[in-house]
Amino acid sequence: MRKFILKSVLYILLILLLLEVIVRVFHLYTEDPPRFIDKYGVEKRIPDHDGYAVTGNRNQNFSKFHINKAGFNSFREFNPSADKFEMALIGDSFIEGFHQDFSNSIGKQIENKVKDVEVYEYGYAGYDFANQMHLVYAYHKDFQLIDKIVLYLNYENDLGRAEYEPNKGRIKMLSSTVFKIRDNIKLLAYGSKIGIVEPLKKLAQGGIAFNETDKAYKTNELKDSEAEKLKIDKQRIANFKNLIELYGFDKSKTSLLLDSRKTSDRFLDFCRNNGIKYIDFAPKFENSKKPTTLIYDHHWNAYGRSLIAKELADYLKEQKK
Amino acid sequence: MLFNSLDFLIFLPVVFILYWFVFKKSLKIQNLLVIVASYVFYGWWDWRFLVLIFFSTVLDFFVGQQIFKNQDNKQKARYWLWVSVGFNLGLLGFFKYFNFFVDSFIESVNALGYNIKSVWTLRIILPVGISFYTFQTMSYSFDIYYKKLKPTKNFISFAAFVAFFPQLVAGPIERASNLLDQINTRRIFRYEQATSGLKLILWGFFKKLVIADSLAPIVDDIFTNYADYPASTLILGVSLFSFQVYGDFSGYTDIAIGTAKLFGVELMSNFKFPNFSRNIAEYWQRWHISLSTWFRHYLYIPMGGSRVSKLKSLRNIAVIFLVSGLWHGANWTFVFWGAIHALLYIPVFLMGRNRVYANNVIAEKTWFPSITEILQVLLTFFLVTFSRIFFRSPSLSSSFDFIKQIGNNFSYEPYMHPMGYRMFDFYLLVALFTVYEYLIRKDERNPFKFGSPLVRFLLYTLVILSILLFYDDGVNRSFIYFQF
Repeated sequence: MRKFILKSVLYILLILLLLEVIVRVFHLYTEDPPRFIDKYGVEKRIPDHDGYAVTGNRNQNFSKFHINKAGFNSFREFNPSADKFEMALIGDSFIEGFHQDFSNSIGKQIENKVKDVEVYEYGYAGYDFANQMHLVYAYHKDFQLIDKIVLYLNYENDLGRAEYEPNKGRIKMLSSTVFKIRDNIKLLAYGSKIGIVEPLKKLAQGGIAFNETDKAYKTNELKDSEAEKLKIDKQRIANFKNLIELYGFDKSKTSLLLDSRKTSDRFLDFCRNNGIKYIDFAPKFENSKKPTTLIYDHHWNAYGRSLIAKELADYLKEQKK
Repeated sequence: MLFNSLDFLIFLPVVFILYWFVFKKSLKIQNLLVIVASYVFYGWWDWRFLVLIFFSTVLDFFVGQQIFKNQDNKQKARYWLWVSVGFNLGLLGFFKYFNFFVDSFIESVNALGYNIKSVWTLRIILPVGISFYTFQTMSYSFDIYYKKLKPTKNFISFAAFVAFFPQLVAGPIERASNLLDQINTRRIFRYEQATSGLKLILWGFFKKLVIADSLAPIVDDIFTNYADYPASTLILGVSLFSFQVYGDFSGYTDIAIGTAKLFGVELMSNFKFPNFSRNIAEYWQRWHISLSTWFRHYLYIPMGGSRVSKLKSLRNIAVIFLVSGLWHGANWTFVFWGAIHALLYIPVFLMGRNRVYANNVIAEKTWFPSITEILQVLLTFFLVTFSRIFFRSPSLSSSFDFIKQIGNNFSYEPYMHPMGYRMFDFYLLVALFTVYEYLIRKDERNPFKFGSPLVRFLLYTLVILSILLFYDDGVNRSFIYFQF
């Protein structure tokens, strides 16, 4: 029995070790560059980091990222000045764009299509509209020099709060020992990414893995009712109004980038009635014959990102006329 | 509890430690632990159905004693045998076939012009594994009746035999002469047996998680949307289903046999590389062996087997295949599937070739198979795969529509994975799996039979790596045969 246990443990350790080597050699794991909150209270990445982001368990999507001196994934540094034409593209992971080589990002594709423009991509996974408004406000000196601002608004997720508070909890959690272990053991990072350690996570979160049967009974009849939708819309619009009043919103140079299929008509009406411009990429996505999102998650794939770049390039050309 | 769940990953070592370290000294307490563990394992799904297992255990234990006591009085012994058969088939009939028979009766009456509506069909949940454990307990009664076995006087041993958790829900369907004897005997931990068990468990997980689960979304897509696909895709779909169902069921069996080995118990083999069968008779000697031998011992031979007139032999063959089809599920598709196999088996039987491959494998003494063997294997695979259209389709009409669609749209188009994955990965996977199974074709109980420890170590790593590479979070991980 002792031989059996010792040999089994030894084999398991050796196999795990070899798997760790394989996962590292073939770079099956994804990297998440470290985050921090700067002196202006803006959440961003620690500058000057290069690495690879991977999606899917067989390296289905593999791309290189570069965190610039400003702390964002971009092919260029951000140096706004009065004698250049700059556009800021602000948003969450969709704009951060770890799903495409940084050298071929949405910003780079826009620059290839529109002459004499510099695109600054302020993308950060986890940003909502409050983050974005606060960023513009916190870096107002830079943004005074930037000619166009595009804010990516995911209506269903981004208008949950009326005021910005830096997410210190997330930064603390990501720098905790558990997460450090996960990031350093690449096999664990990989397993976590493909969902194989999900039951363990659930177990650690209080034994949920053992009892999920009650989930099916948790329904809310109000959820899809018109009254509930109206209530949610009202709240989101109120949050939006509060945020633009609190942090300022230069209507002459700021536009929202949104998908009208996932945005309520009430909000779109509100924008039109209040002179808030928006760029709707829904028609381009709807008419696309190729898939626009990745297999493994809902992020835009390379083709979807090229459609966004084209939409924004067309918009810029129009604006520059 | 599913083998491929975190629950089992925790359950197995806990039971293993209790079994070998805490309750090692007393066979009775060890068997009691087997019962408790098995009831926990089964009750994880739905504890209410434990009553059925317990009742079936009590009844067959008692009936076994009565049959033995009345051995000299054939009529009484037969009466008690019928009590066992009647009860177990009654359970099956109620939980599995009640609605099927009621619906079929109503459809037939309606076809005769009388319009009646069903008011008798019930909302019944099929208890997991009922077809397996009822057959196992019936075999106990049969063996006593045919004087092949003496009944056990130890109820705990008998209950452990009925509920032994590794094979409780999807077999192998054990005979008391094999399993009960082992349960009645003091088990000794043997290093070779335990390591061989771990290897089988690993191989079983590979077959389930990599082969079956990664092919499942493709097969589901093709069988659901068959009307939109050309013949090439439909043929691909049913061929991949052959691999899926094999990976799923034989994977379960490997895990079951491997787990039993960890507890010092040897279960019978259930699969012997059926994809390399050279005719349909050999296929049935290699596929779901515990069920086909069950039918052979307790139905075919009592009916006279092949020792009666040719016509009666053919009837006997037809009966066991039709019943085997019905055993799989309460649907005419399974009966039809059984009928196809009967039709395929009968010519082989008439030519006297039903036992020619009983004791050897393809390319028995050579590295490569002969051209004849390759053609035989391909033909058998084709025929078995064709029958699986009925096995997989939800109804007879959709099975026929599926076949019609192959004929009507006989063209080729490259198939795109429903989730957008690269199909090449799956073709390569199936090809490598087939080649590897060919290499190990002589010993189904030792999937890593290579002399060099380094080669074995690399293979273990490769198998675990492939589980990681093909793991799909969104796939329904239940086993196909649980529904039977």
